[in-house]
Amino acid sequence: MAETATSGVVEVKEPSFPFGKKEKQLITDPLMDNNPVTIQVLGICSALAVTTQVFPSFVMSIAVVFVCAFSSLFTSLLRNNIPKQVRMIVQLVIIASLVTVVELVLKAFSFEVYKQLSVFIGLIITNCIVMGRLEAFAMANRPWRSFLDGIGNGLGYGLILLMVAFFRELFGKGTLFVGSPAEMFIIGANNATTSYWINTAAESGFGSYFSWYANNNLMVLPAAAMFIIGIFIWWQRSKNPKLVDIS
Amino acid sequence: MEFFNVFIKSAFIENMVLAYFLGMCSFLAVSKTVKTAFGLGLAVIFVLAVTMPINWLINEYLLGETGIFGTDLTFLRFILFIAVIASMVQLVEMIVEKVSPSLYNSLGIFLPLITVNCAILGGSLFMVSREYNLSESVAFGLGGGFGWFLAIIALAAIREKLKYSNVPPALRGLGMAFILTGLMGMAFMSLMGIDPTVYAGN
Amino acid sequence: MFVLVMTTIVAVGLTGLREATKPLADANEAIFNKKGVLASVKSQIGEDPKDWDNAQVETEFGKVKGYVFDYQGNPIEGKVAIDLEKNRDKNNKLAVEERAFPVWVYEKGGEKYFVVSVYGKGLWDKIWGTVALKSDLNTIVGVNFDHKGETPGLGAEIKDSPAFKSQFEGRKIYDAAGNYKSIIVRKGGAKDKTHEVDSISGATITGDGVTDMFVEGLANYKPILEAAKKM
Repeated sequence: MAETATSGVVEVKEPSFPFGKKEKQLITDPLMDNNPVTIQVLGICSALAVTTQVFPSFVMSIAVVFVCAFSSLFTSLLRNNIPKQVRMIVQLVIIASLVTVVELVLKAFSFEVYKQLSVFIGLIITNCIVMGRLEAFAMANRPWRSFLDGIGNGLGYGLILLMVAFFRELFGKGTLFVGSPAEMFIIGANNATTSYWINTAAESGFGSYFSWYANNNLMVLPAAAMFIIGIFIWWQRSKNPKLVDIS
Repeated sequence: MEFFNVFIKSAFIENMVLAYFLGMCSFLAVSKTVKTAFGLGLAVIFVLAVTMPINWLINEYLLGETGIFGTDLTFLRFILFIAVIASMVQLVEMIVEKVSPSLYNSLGIFLPLITVNCAILGGSLFMVSREYNLSESVAFGLGGGFGWFLAIIALAAIREKLKYSNVPPALRGLGMAFILTGLMGMAFMSLMGIDPTVYAGN
Repeated sequence: MFVLVMTTIVAVGLTGLREATKPLADANEAIFNKKGVLASVKSQIGEDPKDWDNAQVETEFGKVKGYVFDYQGNPIEGKVAIDLEKNRDKNNKLAVEERAFPVWVYEKGGEKYFVVSVYGKGLWDKIWGTVALKSDLNTIVGVNFDHKGETPGLGAEIKDSPAFKSQFEGRKIYDAAGNYKSIIVRKGGAKDKTHEVDSISGATITGDGVTDMFVEGLANYKPILEAAKKM
């Protein structure tokens, strides 16, 4: 994967704080043409594990944007003081302690959010996007740019996650946005039957118009995520032939 | 006997990649040729087999309430586990760089990324939640690594053959690898849950 | 050296942070566990305690009596039942003979309901829950499950899906002849409507975990529930 190493932008002399053209690119590039999931092949495990439903994917994406941005920032600040022989350990200690700090704070002040996130903690620490970007970008770039790069890659990852989750939840479970505050708002807070939302199991309301659809159990399995990402890569590369066969 | 059972189970029935879908990133990215896949596979076996018993000792003697600090330090589990894994990977990186510079170059960023290979931290966490003892965790490390090794060799072999077939250009390489892994994973799904000790009902 | 120093500093810092936040976190967890106990009798309360605030949970839980027993049904003094939920990992690691078994008794309209705690393994990590039984110590009135790391939409459905949990209501753990059957999560649909429930598609291992949790967990509780009934 040579392109991951070379995709880091060469440091320019004049400070272009806060937003120059290069800085904008740092955010927009990872959304499509240098997407961490489909081009750099990073962060696949978690993309398979959380995408059965849209809402958990959304929570996971936010967490990854946050962790990616701040660990890039800290690594970049420390980059000149880290001996090469131990850089991995340092990077991972930064990531893991960042995640643990967030975990402890959430546990004390917002237990509900903590319960939702606690499932993903291992997946965030071992998310290759975070460490991949630290290795490829933050170790060689200034803090502000590394921060932006972290945000951009987090968002690119989130985009794929939400797209895969959309298809998997809609076709696999016959629902959409189950468990999210938006859905709660639409169907009313205490309504456990979720009958007024897209839901093939609903017996009344808007959802019942979809009862002709039989849920496809293949879509909830991790294998389905592989197929969806595979097809997405196909579409992406046929749209932009420059990307063909670079990996 | 338990040692052997755990080994077989973790290598074949509960294969890390194909049944649990762990350690996917490097699995997909480094399976272009059998040669590099072989190198990475060996590195993963080594790291898993070494970190597993070390993490077992840490979990048992440092973190638990019966450990040397006498309090419950399990919230430090992630940091210590990952620090052990990272130092092992760092060691592997130094060895590979010395012994085989060509392999070192072809692995690129995916050599340090073994650290965040979910299969390895996942293995250590499985070991804790399944309450393995020391010898079982060695078996689990070896078996899990061996299963990962076999899977990446299998995928790399298929991909080498696929180079000569007429796949639509945009699907060549990575796209095909995703779909192939999906298919292989589906085959392993049917093996999941084979365990004589699980209550089978009647 | 650099690494050792850094890891130690980080570890000490985190330990400090944890000590600082521990009282808050513990209080949150206690409320959460109380909600779990109440959720298994929610059909009797008539409301789902999920969205209650802390004061409501405390008021309702104040009506619940908690007892702790050993495996033969002798009461253990000096242990609080709800604290066992916080230490469930440690408690369930012990051999049955040394384990402490919590029972909560909820009274409503002259009927007593007995809530017990169960514990097992899912696909990724631990799963646990509470089961509420009628005073015949046989019919289930409600269950509540939680998990550490099951996949959202698959294994996590044991906690998230009201439909899965409501299946347990009215199921019995003994057959008409008094033989222990417990509850089995059946792949492909429940055949026996008194002792089986439908599994969640795609979550076979978690379903097997729930089966184990019921078969092994409730078997231990027989003498304990008999004792709790006499209290």
